Amino acid sequence: MTPRSDTPDGVAQVEHPLFSAGELVADAYEVRQLLGAGGMGEVYEAHDRVLNRRVALKVIRPNIAPEYLLREGRALAAIRHPGVVAVYTMGQHRGAGFLVLERVQGLSLDRMLDERRARVERFALSEALELLVSITDVLSVVHRAGLAHRDIKPANVMLAPGGRVVLMDFGLVLPHADRAGHRSVAGSIQYMAPEALTGHVAEGAAHLVDVYALGVLAYELLVGIIPFAGVEPLDAYRSKTRAPAPRVTTLRSDVPEPLADLIGQMMSVDPNDRPHGAEAVLWQLRGLRASANSDVGARPFSVLVVDDDADMREVLSLYVRAAAADAEIETTGDGREAIRSVRRRVPDLLLLDLDLPDINGIEVCMLLRGMRLGDSCMIVSVSGRATRADVELLQQLGVRSLDKGPGLMDSLVELVKTIRAGRTAHKAARPKR
Amino acid sequence: MGEARDPEIDALLAAARVDFAGRLPAKVAEIEVLVIREDWQGARLAAHKLRGSAATYGFAVVGTTTAALEEELLLAAVSAPDANARARIAELSRKARAAADLAVTGPP
Repeated sequence: MTPRSDTPDGVAQVEHPLFSAGELVADAYEVRQLLGAGGMGEVYEAHDRVLNRRVALKVIRPNIAPEYLLREGRALAAIRHPGVVAVYTMGQHRGAGFLVLERVQGLSLDRMLDERRARVERFALSEALELLVSITDVLSVVHRAGLAHRDIKPANVMLAPGGRVVLMDFGLVLPHADRAGHRSVAGSIQYMAPEALTGHVAEGAAHLVDVYALGVLAYELLVGIIPFAGVEPLDAYRSKTRAPAPRVTTLRSDVPEPLADLIGQMMSVDPNDRPHGAEAVLWQLRGLRASANSDVGARPFSVLVVDDDADMREVLSLYVRAAAADAEIETTGDGREAIRSVRRRVPDLLLLDLDLPDINGIEVCMLLRGMRLGDSCMIVSVSGRATRADVELLQQLGVRSLDKGPGLMDSLVELVKTIRAGRTAHKAARPKR
Repeated sequence: MGEARDPEIDALLAAARVDFAGRLPAKVAEIEVLVIREDWQGARLAAHKLRGSAATYGFAVVGTTTAALEEELLLAAVSAPDANARARIAELSRKARAAADLAVTGPP
């Protein structure tokens, strides 16, 4: 249920709207117009009379269980990221539950795809990669929050001014751990993974349903078509499991082979054959995106270790070496020096202690994110005493958290391998010179 | 992890661990000195460092003991500890020292 304009004048129409234009909701929100409607409810633009701003009101239909709205509200509240629509509050009006959301102005990706198709045009490879990186980046933040979106599709991606890409409609979101919820069949059939179509999502594998949908979206973005037939679940299931989708490169020759491989893997029938999460996809996409005009794949893998404890700097460096013997490792015990170092050269991986004497690790992350210096590197906090609030704040900053302790080596080695896999994909995609 | 690691890295890790174990008693002693000086914040920071590095190097007992010590020192740093709190700090320091001494001579 993405807010979208369904009529030329930008106003959607339904037969019996849940709210009416001019209606005052919760003594604060004056309904202006219907933006979109779907099976679960409707989205309106409203004016917040108290704060004097435009907002979106998402209203759920009376026949839909209120838990959906509550789950969506809580999921949105748990994530603070420019790629996720902000939730302001939730409430009830005339018996209908509603969420008050940030009003995102823009164009949905499905509308853009429609326009391109109408003009018999495709997204340029660089443009498609840029979009995929942004969408995957948001999805990785959602997954790190312990959630599965479950309705990834172009209609739920909004392209806002300033290059902002926003993932919309968290109406089907579920925590990874919700076993019963993942057995329910819900989503958009063309983008749904085979196991989601049959309600057989394995415990802890809900994020792989999103990876599959992202693969279908990537395919569509590059070649303009969805590779599977079927509008009913059973037909779609047969189409998706009978044979793999035609390789992207058979339909578009400028797509690098590693990107075609990645999309094929993402749409694997067996979830275990897919990349193991949005983050793994993200690193490969970032590498591929950089392939056109840079030498990223040629330079050594670089790591910056920031910890005021020399023993930790030593052991972390050795752990990195265990996964990447040729890594270039720089160490410092000082947060300000870490920022200076990143300004000089952005590392592929920044391992950061949270408890630094001069400027703490969270402040370092905020400064790096604020300056957008750290966007092309993965920042990982390594702490012995991170609180839940710390971890949540770091998640919002797109920073992963690892605990100091005996499991650190395995986690770090795995992480370094994931990042390097992305760089290797990029290297393979580089044009021969 | 599946793949075999470089034996040289394994050797370096083993050597770093032995070296770290040898310095553990001095690290605990540093905390004890700060406690005697009633520098609770300094002691807490030293205990904090040690809990993380000891756990990471695989010295679990030193890690958990200094973690408990850090929590006590955190309280001491915000309000002057009473006799009971001082006794708990002394006891945890003693346990940390014993665990550090054992790390030098035996398995963690």
